[in-house]
Amino acid sequence: MKLYSLSILHKGATKANLLKAAYDLSSFSFFQRSSIQEFMTFTSALIVERTTQGSRASVKEQDLYKLIKKSIMHDDCIKEYLCHVYVRNDNLSAVVIADTEYPQRVCFTLLDKVLEEFSRQVDSIDWPSGNPETINYKALDIHLSKYQNPREADAMTKVQAELDETKIILHNTMESLLERGEKLDDLVSKSEHLGNQSKAFYKTARKQNSCCEIM
Amino acid sequence: MAESEEEVDVLVQRVVKDIINAFKRNPNIDEIGVIPCPEARYNRSPIVLVENKLGVESWCVKFLLPYVHNKLLLYRQRKHWLDREALVDITCTLLLLNPDFTTAWNVRKELLQSGVLNPEKDLYLGKLALTKFPKSPETWIHRRWVLQQILRQFSAEGQTSKQQQQQGETEQADAERSQQLGDHLARTLHQEMKVCCDAACLYPSNYNAWSHRIWVLQHMAMGNVKVFHDELSSMRLWVSMHVSDHSGFHYRQFLLKELITELSQPLSSATNSPQHNSSTVPSSSPSHHSQAQANGELSGVEAAGEEERQPSFTTIIQLFCQEIELCSDLIHSFPGHETLWSHRRHVFYLWHHWRREYQHYSSNGGSELVHLNDSDPGLQTVGAQSCAGRGESVNGQGHATEAMEVDGASFPELRDSKRLKTGILLPDPPALSSEYSFVSSILDDCCNPEQRRFALAYEKWLDTVIGHQP
Repeated sequence: MKLYSLSILHKGATKANLLKAAYDLSSFSFFQRSSIQEFMTFTSALIVERTTQGSRASVKEQDLYKLIKKSIMHDDCIKEYLCHVYVRNDNLSAVVIADTEYPQRVCFTLLDKVLEEFSRQVDSIDWPSGNPETINYKALDIHLSKYQNPREADAMTKVQAELDETKIILHNTMESLLERGEKLDDLVSKSEHLGNQSKAFYKTARKQNSCCEIM
Repeated sequence: MAESEEEVDVLVQRVVKDIINAFKRNPNIDEIGVIPCPEARYNRSPIVLVENKLGVESWCVKFLLPYVHNKLLLYRQRKHWLDREALVDITCTLLLLNPDFTTAWNVRKELLQSGVLNPEKDLYLGKLALTKFPKSPETWIHRRWVLQQILRQFSAEGQTSKQQQQQGETEQADAERSQQLGDHLARTLHQEMKVCCDAACLYPSNYNAWSHRIWVLQHMAMGNVKVFHDELSSMRLWVSMHVSDHSGFHYRQFLLKELITELSQPLSSATNSPQHNSSTVPSSSPSHHSQAQANGELSGVEAAGEEERQPSFTTIIQLFCQEIELCSDLIHSFPGHETLWSHRRHVFYLWHHWRREYQHYSSNGGSELVHLNDSDPGLQTVGAQSCAGRGESVNGQGHATEAMEVDGASFPELRDSKRLKTGILLPDPPALSSEYSFVSSILDDCCNPEQRRFALAYEKWLDTVIGHQP
C-alpha cells in the first residue's frame, strides 16, 4: 500500500488554488517522476474544482495512469489509483492519491487532520492567493511519510466510528466528474499544472493508445 | 531525422557506443528508463545519465531496437560476423531495451562459457533490465543459469581445496578459503534477495520474482535455518504493507513450511541424522552465530541449533502462533482482502497437519519430551510458557506438552478475552475452536461485505476440510 501525493488546495469560485503539496514517487521510474507529479497536481486540482463544498469523495483514477504506464513503462500492469478528496465548508480542501490497497478510512482521517492543522497555522487570508512558495507549512512531507504505514500512524481504529463511510461519494472514473460536453483532453491542454513536455507526451500517448508499440 | 539506411547505421552505432561509455563513466548505474521525448533534439545524444539513472530518449528506440535485433539475428544465421566485443555491446543494448529476447541471452551464455564475460557482469545486466521490466521471464531464467554457473564454480573450488588439504596444505589456509567462499556466497544470496525485493515492489504479485526467490533459497541456503528465519522476519513488514500480494504471501508460506520441516526433523528422527546441509552456504560461518543473537524475535532457534538438535517443538508452536496472530491482526486492520484469508487457510492447514504428525510421534516417545521439559525448563521459550501457563490457569492442566497433546478443542476459549498487545504474551496455539470464534468475531463487528464473504467462506472451509478430518 502506498500514498503518492498529499496536497492542500483552496477551492475558489472557478478554480482550485494549490497551497502546498508533498509527493512520494519513489515507486515510479526515475524518468517518469516529473510528469507523474504534474499529472497528480493536475488531477488533485481538477477533483477539488468538481467536488461540492462540505463533502468527501473518492475517485477511481485509471485513465491518466493507464496512459502513462502504457507509453512509458510499456507495462501491462494497470494498477488502479484512488484520489480521496475532502472539501470543507470553508473551501479549504485536501487530496490524497493512494493505491487501492490503502485503507480509505485512514486517508480521510489524514485529510481531516492535515486540514485542521493547516488552518490553525496558516491565516485564512492567505488561502485564496497563496502558493507553495509563500505558504509556511512544513508538516506535509512528515505526514505523508508517517502515513505510508497506516498501522504506525495513529488512526487505524480511532476515527472508525466518527466517519460515516456511506456519506463518501464514489466516482468510478474521472470522466464522471466532468460536465456534459467537457473533455479530459481539453482540460489537459488548458491546464497550467502540466508542462509542455507532459502535454505533448499525453497527446502522443493518447494518439497511440495501443499496446503493440515497442516502447 | 535519420531515415536513410546509412544514417540509421551511423546513429545506432553512436548510440550503442554512448550506452557502453555511460557504463564506463558510471559503474554504479542502478536504473534504466525511457524518457518520453517524441522528437530528437538537435545534435544531442539520446542517452542521458542523471545521477545513477540511465535514460534513453523515446524517439530513438524505434531505430535502435530493430537495428540491433537484426544484426544479432544475422550473426546467428552466420551471415554477418561480429567480434566478441561487439557482441557484448550489442547484446547489452538489446537486452536493456528488450530483455525477453532469448537469443541475446543465449549469445551471452556462450560468451560467459568461453570466459569473455564474467557471471557478476551478467547478474548486473539482468538487475538493470529488471528495473524497467520487473517480470521479464527470460531475465529471471538467465539469472538462474548464471547462478548455477557460480555454484558449480564454487563446488569445484571447494573440491580442489580439499584435495590440496590431503596433499598436506595447512588446515588454516583451507579454512580461510572456505570462509571466503562462504562470504562470497552469502553476498550473492543477499544480492539476489535484494533484486527480488525490488522487482516485487515494482510489480504487484510478481510471480516470477517470488518464485526466483524460492529457487535461490532452495539452491543456495537449503537446511540453513538461520537464513529462513531471517527471511521470515524481514518479510513481516513487507507483507503488512502489501496485503493483497498473493505471491508475497505464498513466499511466506514456503518459508514457514520449510522451517517447520527443518525444525521437525529432530522430532521425528531420534537418531542424530545429518541434515541435508547445504553443500554451499556453510552453516558454520562465523556470521551464523553472531547474527542469530541480533534476531531477537525468534531466539528459540539457537537452542535448536546449539543443543545437539533438541526437540524444537516450542519454536515451531511459536512460529505458528506468531503467524496466526499476524494474520488476525492484518485481517482486522485491512478488511476485505482475500489474500489474507487464503493465507490463514494455508497456515492453519499446515498447523493442523503438523499437529497430527506430532501427536503420532508423541504417543511413541512423548515421555522423553516430558522428561526434557522437567529437567531443563530453560529450554522452553516464552511462547510455550505463556501458552502453557494460561492453559494451566484456566483448566488446571499440567505441562506444555500435555496441553499440546490434547486436541485443540479442549483449549479454553481465550480468544474472547482481550488479546494483550504487550508482545510478551503470545496467543494460544491455534485450534479449530479458536478459528471459529475468530470468524464469528469478524462477522459480529464488520460491515464490509467483502470481509463478511471471506469470513463465511473460511468458516465453510473449516467445516468441510478440517472438521471432517479425524
